[in-house]
Amino acid sequence: MKKPISIVITILIICLFMLPAYAGVPMNTVQANVNKVLDVLRDPKLKGEAAKEIKKKKLRAIYEQMFDDVELGKRTLGRNWNSLSVPQRQEFVILFRQVLEKAYIDKILAYTNEKIVYERETMISPTQAEIQTKVITASKEVPITYKVILKGGSWKVYDVVVENISLVMNYRTQFNDILAKNKPEQLLEILRKKVKG
Amino acid sequence: MKSYLVAVTLCVVLAWGCAHKPAVVSNPAPPADAHQVREAMAAAKSEPSRATTSPLPTSDAPSSPKAVAVTPLDAKSSLPSPELSAKSVSGNLDDYQDIEEPAPAKENEKENEKATIADPLEPFNRAMFQFNDKLYFWVMKPIAQGYSKVVPEKARVSVGNFYTNLSFPIRFVNSLLQANFERAASELGRFIINTVWGIGGLLDPAASKEIDLKKQKADFGQTLGVYGVGQGFYIHWPVFGPSSPRDTVGMVGDTFLYPSVYFGAWEVWAGSRVIERTNDASLHIGDYEAMKEAAIDPYVAVRDAYVQYRLKMIKHQGGPPPPGKPGLLEYD
Repeated sequence: MKKPISIVITILIICLFMLPAYAGVPMNTVQANVNKVLDVLRDPKLKGEAAKEIKKKKLRAIYEQMFDDVELGKRTLGRNWNSLSVPQRQEFVILFRQVLEKAYIDKILAYTNEKIVYERETMISPTQAEIQTKVITASKEVPITYKVILKGGSWKVYDVVVENISLVMNYRTQFNDILAKNKPEQLLEILRKKVKG
Repeated sequence: MKSYLVAVTLCVVLAWGCAHKPAVVSNPAPPADAHQVREAMAAAKSEPSRATTSPLPTSDAPSSPKAVAVTPLDAKSSLPSPELSAKSVSGNLDDYQDIEEPAPAKENEKENEKATIADPLEPFNRAMFQFNDKLYFWVMKPIAQGYSKVVPEKARVSVGNFYTNLSFPIRFVNSLLQANFERAASELGRFIINTVWGIGGLLDPAASKEIDLKKQKADFGQTLGVYGVGQGFYIHWPVFGPSSPRDTVGMVGDTFLYPSVYFGAWEVWAGSRVIERTNDASLHIGDYEAMKEAAIDPYVAVRDAYVQYRLKMIKHQGGPPPPGKPGLLEYD
């Protein structure tokens, strides 16, 4: 009779500790993805201008795993999301991703062995968390916070906060400003130009 | 029985402890199993056209079964992104439904309300933004570039440290005014250590790993904000840039705490400020350009960044939100 009880107690104890232990998953996910990016950037086989396109392609694949770009787009448009038609929303998400790629790819490719420290994970709700990290360069430390959401079993980034400035918020203010005076179609046109120009 | 339970508990506690390492320095080679697990997960999830895990060019197949016709991003597009053109819709179609009012939209509204600023002077501000833009590209940047060619980076970091040390009274007094004694003590310690062992503030030994007193920010505009003075409206000053009535008062107030004000003629002060600005600019060449390039409307982007930054400085006094509390921009 003793055995089943001990098994039950064991399971209970494990369950008890599994709950908080689960909180480590968002940070591990972000860290694993960042490490994948670093692997690509540090790959000695991918040196020079010629390998740039290959690097970009690999980074794009990582981005798709790491980010939830529909969630990102939704939060960036905020209330205005509903004033776009569904095809417009679809185009917006893709255009916005390209805008971000264009804006940040060179900064990411310029990475040279800065140290990254993973400081803290804060659960905001059972499906949302914030991961605070720091990028340490020779002259300064840049705090970067990743906001992640649990979707389809994996934690995906939906906002990046650099030096206390949220990417999503910053673009949302700009898009709100444009949409206050213009139709959604005009916003898409501005983004199309931005991507091409 | 008892010892067995103790052993199990110990194992679980240890495993739990490992998952909560306070600071994990990034490991260049992530554990292989994590890779495999994630890849397996992604592979199981991905549809045929979503070969996200494969870095091989197989995913550029021109005809994708899931390609929905939304303004195709044709091959002419200046941005060569074969994967994107193959897959013209990101995520599931279900994700594109309306957002419901009670959940995300309301939260957004709350955020918006807090992190925006009235801008009645927009035409004037935009003109000043243009002025500062030209000032940067035509004057500041060429000077800073010339300066950075003559002075090596290490020396420029030292000059920056020196000016930071010099402005210690601003941070110290404002920390006291905000009743943030911990920060005041930290700043006082930094000032003494860096002045004595850092060659008059040229070096920053206080920030080293052993002492670990990092520079913190405090200014009079923040002090006013901590005491409940609102930001008012947005002002984009020529030369000085983003501000508000509150922060303008703060900026003027802080100059009285700046030592070089008391050293003789105003030319000394002005000259000192010009060197400080040039030195600072030389360490940040490219930042403004990158921001401008990333922005859809650079003026609004700068304004928003300023508002977010100041709000955060007042709310959490510059630091990260305390553990266990939701972040500032989520919900209050």
